Amino acid sequence: MRSIICTAAAIAMLALCGLEGAHAQVRAKAGVTCKPGTEKLQYDCIIKLANSKTNEPLSGLTLTVGADMPSMPAAHNVRPVGAAEDQEKGTYKARIVLEMYGDWALRLDLSGPVRDRVVKRLRFERDRVGETTPARAPGRHRH
Amino acid sequence: MDDYLIGVLSNIGVISFIALSAYLLLLTGEISFGQQAFFAIGAYAAGIATALWGWPLALALVWGAAIGGAAAVLVGIPTLRLHGLYFAIATLAFAEMVRILFELFRYQITIDGELVGPDGADGFRNIRYIFDNNIDAFQFLLLIYALLAVVLLGFVLLERSRLGVIFRMIGEDETLAGLQGVSIAHHKVLAAGISGALAGIGGGLYAHLTTYVEPRIFDVMLGVHSLAYGLIGGLGTALGPLLGVLIDIGVLESIRALSGYRMIIFGGLVALLLIVRPRGLLDENVVHKIGRFWRRISPWARRPGLNTGNRNNLTGGRP
Repeated sequence: MRSIICTAAAIAMLALCGLEGAHAQVRAKAGVTCKPGTEKLQYDCIIKLANSKTNEPLSGLTLTVGADMPSMPAAHNVRPVGAAEDQEKGTYKARIVLEMYGDWALRLDLSGPVRDRVVKRLRFERDRVGETTPARAPGRHRH
Repeated sequence: MDDYLIGVLSNIGVISFIALSAYLLLLTGEISFGQQAFFAIGAYAAGIATALWGWPLALALVWGAAIGGAAAVLVGIPTLRLHGLYFAIATLAFAEMVRILFELFRYQITIDGELVGPDGADGFRNIRYIFDNNIDAFQFLLLIYALLAVVLLGFVLLERSRLGVIFRMIGEDETLAGLQGVSIAHHKVLAAGISGALAGIGGGLYAHLTTYVEPRIFDVMLGVHSLAYGLIGGLGTALGPLLGVLIDIGVLESIRALSGYRMIIFGGLVALLLIVRPRGLLDENVVHKIGRFWRRISPWARRPGLNTGNRNNLTGGRP
């Protein structure tokens, strides 16, 4: 049994060592604006992707949009949907359907020429979508 | 494999670590509502190690586990004398304290012109190790399950060892175990340390899987779930909590029609099982029966002198 565990541990360590690779060059940043759609819990989002260093729009990518509810990790998440690229460079459109109203972390997964993930936290309400307002520590409010 | 399926399987694997950590404490008879604290500590520690200090992932995960384990030992020592409800409340209070501390915790440095690091209630973004190192989702999934396999093998060894018997003995009757010469304090702190380390590894994997953590992720809901997985899946074997995770994240996740009602169904399932099967689906009796059946049909399991009565004696065969 000990030898099995040692072998398994060795495989896990090898897997970990094998995961070191070349560093990616481009990091993405995203601006996300969403508005309620025609149906309940449906939202239409416009996502603007750009190179975080040069601010150049990132186009020609495959973008999927998923959502997780931070207060319930791994419990409430939305199946990722594909985003269609708009005519404007670096602009994508996606329609998501959430499970409930509240704070959601939108997970933007980029693949293709640039592979990256950007997470944006938004508050989805019945009639509007806005920034989340996390509970701040006393004396550390931002104005 | 479909990206969504990889995501769900990754979630099942990562959450299994915290489920196993709560299960280990359940074996020693303690109900902890605070395992999410060590999961959080592991997530932040491992995330800081790779994103801010540039450590390799393997070292960062070990670091997360070590910090999680050390924190659990530090909590375990003063709560040694507490039992049942009092221990549960103490662990819950500690977890909330940790969560609020992370809401205050700011430690950011500029990397490539960008501020990176924990930013209080705004969370910790850009834990980008898997993207910076071109690790795809499937490779990371394999890593999660390789580590989970190691942990499960460790549990198999533990269950067959003297230490595992002592843990169950303490869980059954602490006074009786003490009268048998078992050092209760020593073994309870050891169990707390191991469970904290397990949650720490899970947290480290979670942070690198999602690339983003925030204090709200580690609230009481996660602690309740981690405990419920063991109670649903069963306390007879380490596969029990994994079954619990599989039922919650796997089965309920796949029934999308249930959508927002999943939590209600999950809560109802926990309540129902606590009434009809208080020690879960894979309780000691079921595990014993499966083991007996396996020994009957398997030529490898028929080994002379194999003592199979310990677990049954310890549990008294009760459900």
